Amino acid sequence: MLTAIWPTHWSRTQRSNATLVSALLLMVGVVAALGELLALLPEPIGDHASEFAEGARTTLYLTLISGAVGLALGVAAALARTSAHQLLRSLASTYIWIIRGTPLLVQILFMYFALPVLVPGLNLPDFAAAAIALALNVGAYNAEAVRAGLNAVPRGQAEAARALGLPKTRVFTDVVFPQAFKISLPPLVSNFVALLKDSSLAYAIGVVELTNVGNRIQSSTFQPVETLLTVGVTYLVLTTLVTQVTAAIEYRFDVEGRQK
Amino acid sequence: MSHAANTRTPYIVCNQVTKSFGTHQVLQGVSTSFSKGEVTVIIGASGSGKSTLLRALNRLEPHDGGSITIDGVAVTDHEATLQKQRCEVGMVFQQFNLFGHMTVLDNVTLAPRRIHKISRSEANAKALQLLERVGMQAHAHKYPWQLSGGQQQRVAIARALAMEPQVMLFDEPTSALDPEMVQEVLEVMRELAKSGMTMIVVTHEMGFAREVADRVMFFDQGCIAHEAPPAEFFARPANERIAAFIGRVAH
Repeated sequence: MLTAIWPTHWSRTQRSNATLVSALLLMVGVVAALGELLALLPEPIGDHASEFAEGARTTLYLTLISGAVGLALGVAAALARTSAHQLLRSLASTYIWIIRGTPLLVQILFMYFALPVLVPGLNLPDFAAAAIALALNVGAYNAEAVRAGLNAVPRGQAEAARALGLPKTRVFTDVVFPQAFKISLPPLVSNFVALLKDSSLAYAIGVVELTNVGNRIQSSTFQPVETLLTVGVTYLVLTTLVTQVTAAIEYRFDVEGRQK
Repeated sequence: MSHAANTRTPYIVCNQVTKSFGTHQVLQGVSTSFSKGEVTVIIGASGSGKSTLLRALNRLEPHDGGSITIDGVAVTDHEATLQKQRCEVGMVFQQFNLFGHMTVLDNVTLAPRRIHKISRSEANAKALQLLERVGMQAHAHKYPWQLSGGQQQRVAIARALAMEPQVMLFDEPTSALDPEMVQEVLEVMRELAKSGMTMIVVTHEMGFAREVADRVMFFDQGCIAHEAPPAEFFARPANERIAAFIGRVAH
């Protein structure tokens, strides 16, 4: 973990910032240099390096966009699920029930093929359809992670905040949510890493992401071992970089010093 | 601390307050009032309704029937009024309830910064004075988990005082503490009483009641069974239940 390499006299916040900045720089650097790095490899990777790099970028964009939207969706659905309004609770439960109960591949296919039939004129490009389906999917899982966090914050915390005269929104944003979010972080990170890998299903509707690129190259070159190994290692590099970023965020929230 | 209770005007008035949890009626029509500058100690067996009454005063536990007024204004669900009332009524909890993700200083300054919109530096200066008053200024930058129970409770008192309340409610403030930490919290509460703070204290600390209270209120089965100044309350228990209770908690 990157959080462990900094001087011991640095504060938790400094280490967290240093990790966050270096992991993000590393991520940008790797994504920018991926084409050149792969070009150094022998055939069939070297001569298809730019396609691999382009596919990896598409995978990363797809993940970042649907991950961000999915986080917002997850928080909103968790709030609705724990709200006092019956209608909101039912809506959130139904959303989570449908998304968790059906395969992601079906959701992606539905968004791309079935939605234009149901809503004439709504022809989403493949990337947008995949991003929406992935965001909706990860949002449902995030909702349960956030709800677990909200439920884990002791009731006395909100009571103490209310007793001070804080408005309800402040009780939530200043006291309950930061503590709930800290508890939700590990499962949210798991969901995000799963999302990065699940984005490969966008291949089914023709999004030219990393898996799609790899599959095209292996079938045209008849060299499946090299191409699919490259695909796998590229995913591994991406997930490793992503977990460095999230580890830095977790470390920042770790006021109790449980992570060494 | 003056004992001229009859010359005071009531600040909080409870009239026939009732509250049920399911079929169990915890408060069976409680009527009483609390005046400015007065220290009331509420005692009674657990489940007698004393904490519920305290929590009804700032509506952490909404009452079902009767009325509660603070400075003449009814305590209801009206959010804006309730927020103003809660600013006037500080509360200290059995489990401290310090915000675990914030430093001691941030715990104390949060409400003043958010509600009175004062700057962080101004809030910090004021918070450090309050922390000095409870003997915690040296720990201002620690997190709650780094403090002992007694220290956490002293910070919780400073946090409540930061809103400059008219009344302080204490809900069994020493019940979750190791015996050696009880005194440091009681000492802060004694000092607070001496400064003229209006206090309503639910406790089992009979020594504190005897020494600091202006009146002692005995709760039994959802009613105020008896109330008297402490000297009289402890010297001549009004009935056998009270005598038995005093005997039990004294040991």
